[in-house]
Amino acid sequence: MPIEIAKPKPAPALEQNSSDPAFLKIRDLVYRISGIYHAEEKLYLLTSRCARRMVALELTSPAEYLEHLTVRGNRDAELRLLLNEITIGETYMFRHPAQLDALRKVILPEILQAKGVHGLKRLRFWCAGCSTGEEPHTLAMFLLEEKEKLLAGWTFDILATDLNDNSLEAARAGIYGEYALRSTNDRLRAKYFKDAGDKKLQANDLLKSQIRFDRINLRDDNKMLFQKGMDVIFCCNVLIYFDLASKRRVIQHFYSNLMPGGYLFLGHAESLFQVDDTFRLVHFTGTTAYWKAPATLPAGGKK
Amino acid sequence: MDSISTAPAILQPLLDMLRLPLEEIKIEKVVDLVSYDGAIAAQCLRLANSPLYGRREIETVRSAVMVLGLDRVRTLLLGLCMNRVIPADKWVIEPNAFWRHSLGCALVTQRMARKIEYHEPEKAYLAGLLHDIGLLVNSVLYTEGFRECLRIAAEQQAPLHVIEEQVLGFTHCDSGRMLAEHWRLSKELVDVTYCHYDLSLLAAPGPLACLVHLSDLLCRARYLGYGYDEIMSVDLGGDAAWQILVASYPALGNMDLVRFTLDIDGAMDQIVATVDSVFGSKNVAVSAAT
Ligand SMILES: C[S@@+](CC[C@H](N)C(=O)[O-])C[C@H]1O[C@@H](n2cnc3c(N)ncnc32)[C@H](O)[C@@H]1O
Ligand SMILES: [Fe+2]
Ligand SMILES: [Fe+2]
Repeated sequence: MPIEIAKPKPAPALEQNSSDPAFLKIRDLVYRISGIYHAEEKLYLLTSRCARRMVALELTSPAEYLEHLTVRGNRDAELRLLLNEITIGETYMFRHPAQLDALRKVILPEILQAKGVHGLKRLRFWCAGCSTGEEPHTLAMFLLEEKEKLLAGWTFDILATDLNDNSLEAARAGIYGEYALRSTNDRLRAKYFKDAGDKKLQANDLLKSQIRFDRINLRDDNKMLFQKGMDVIFCCNVLIYFDLASKRRVIQHFYSNLMPGGYLFLGHAESLFQVDDTFRLVHFTGTTAYWKAPATLPAGGKK
Repeated sequence: MDSISTAPAILQPLLDMLRLPLEEIKIEKVVDLVSYDGAIAAQCLRLANSPLYGRREIETVRSAVMVLGLDRVRTLLLGLCMNRVIPADKWVIEPNAFWRHSLGCALVTQRMARKIEYHEPEKAYLAGLLHDIGLLVNSVLYTEGFRECLRIAAEQQAPLHVIEEQVLGFTHCDSGRMLAEHWRLSKELVDVTYCHYDLSLLAAPGPLACLVHLSDLLCRARYLGYGYDEIMSVDLGGDAAWQILVASYPALGNMDLVRFTLDIDGAMDQIVATVDSVFGSKNVAVSAAT
């Protein structure tokens, strides 16, 4: 499940009529800013998110709320708060184990070999749309586990970004319950977490120090331009509600941010078919990824 | 080769039937074949009555054949025949793994054939089903050497044919070709068994060989391989077979490979159930694709 309500929230006080023209304007605004498009049948999601904000602001009409989002002095802050409501992401640790297998067996050996030649023994990873941090923490555990093996003599850094301030705050705190940890084994729990009370675990300092969190809106071209030099990008279950044009734009940014020979992972059922044809689709055991072929590659494919 | 051809009485008529396009097969013929052998008939009935096919209280062989469809019945017959031909202690490759892979390839080849509007999708099915018969030859005739191949391949997570070449000096493609010729399968099918890894062995690889080559790769990448985890990294779009096919079947270019791959995962239950009905359920080393 992509972007949806993870925790039950109190029902909004007001039933909102989603055909109100103000909502259509809000939809366009949200789309312009975030790339997330609420089609007709998803409009109810948007109105229920708006309703929460309207309750908080003690507003009664959508038109008033639209005004808060567009003309009031604090409109940027309000828009951010609305986006925080809209982009609550479902996620958990080790959600895509086949991706990690592909990294260990094929991708890392391939990249290490290519990069080792130039003596730059450093790898860069980016989790774009990291939500509450499960994905980058998983990656950090995986890489730490390889530190003495595959990655001996190498350093790595992980950039983890999202648009949702609340999610980022939770990600930085690194406190997780059983739901998030359900696929994390005891050995890893003991090694990388400490007790946080209330049946929760918190990422320890070693694990935390591997990840740098930042707020990046994938639709923000200025920021997207400056994330160069990535070896592997994860953008899983984020672009599903983006429309084609925004998806294309984001994918182009990923392409130019990746090193030649780098890989992009999307979520399990996501495809760039008819979205992009610069990346090459590669099948690994149980998963697929998109590959930025080095310019020197002769036509006719890998290997 | 002869030990393989001392087959149950129904093998020859079955092979004759496998050579025909589906629409030329008379259902009575199939019912006869199935009924000829009590154990086979019973298995058909059991499968037709399983929840997968809606549990409709099937009592006659004829209605079982109708419910299962000719494709599936042919597969079942072939699987059961091979089960007789190959003594239990000669199965080097796990029979469930072998049939899951073969049936998986059959389905994937057929679906891909339909997508690109290849004119004989049934033939594509058969090509997928039979492409690895060489593995059976190696099991029966070169049992110990082949066991060694499989062990090393699993240990190194390497492609089986590469290890066969190193250890035996030949591959299941070579032995597959011999059996296919011995069974007097069509030239196209012989080519498929011989060239499904290396299309350059053919002067002008036909669409069947290309299709099977691709679906073999896809199946192995979707936990329908030879019963061990293989290190895979496949750029299908850059594959020679893909390029040959696209040149004559432009519809291939309109195929969303990610979607298609998920379709294969979706067919997994059917494949496993059909295979288990022939060989009994066994836990093959197959990780669940989620
Ligand atoms: C379903 S979560 C994915 C979490 C994680 N990647 C995974 O697969 O488990 C989707 C995340 O995408 C984020 N997102 C949506 N639109 C975004 C945008 N325009 N810029 C940055 N992040 C965005 C949401 O805030 C949400 O946290
Ligand atoms: Fe093969
Ligand atoms: Fe095969």
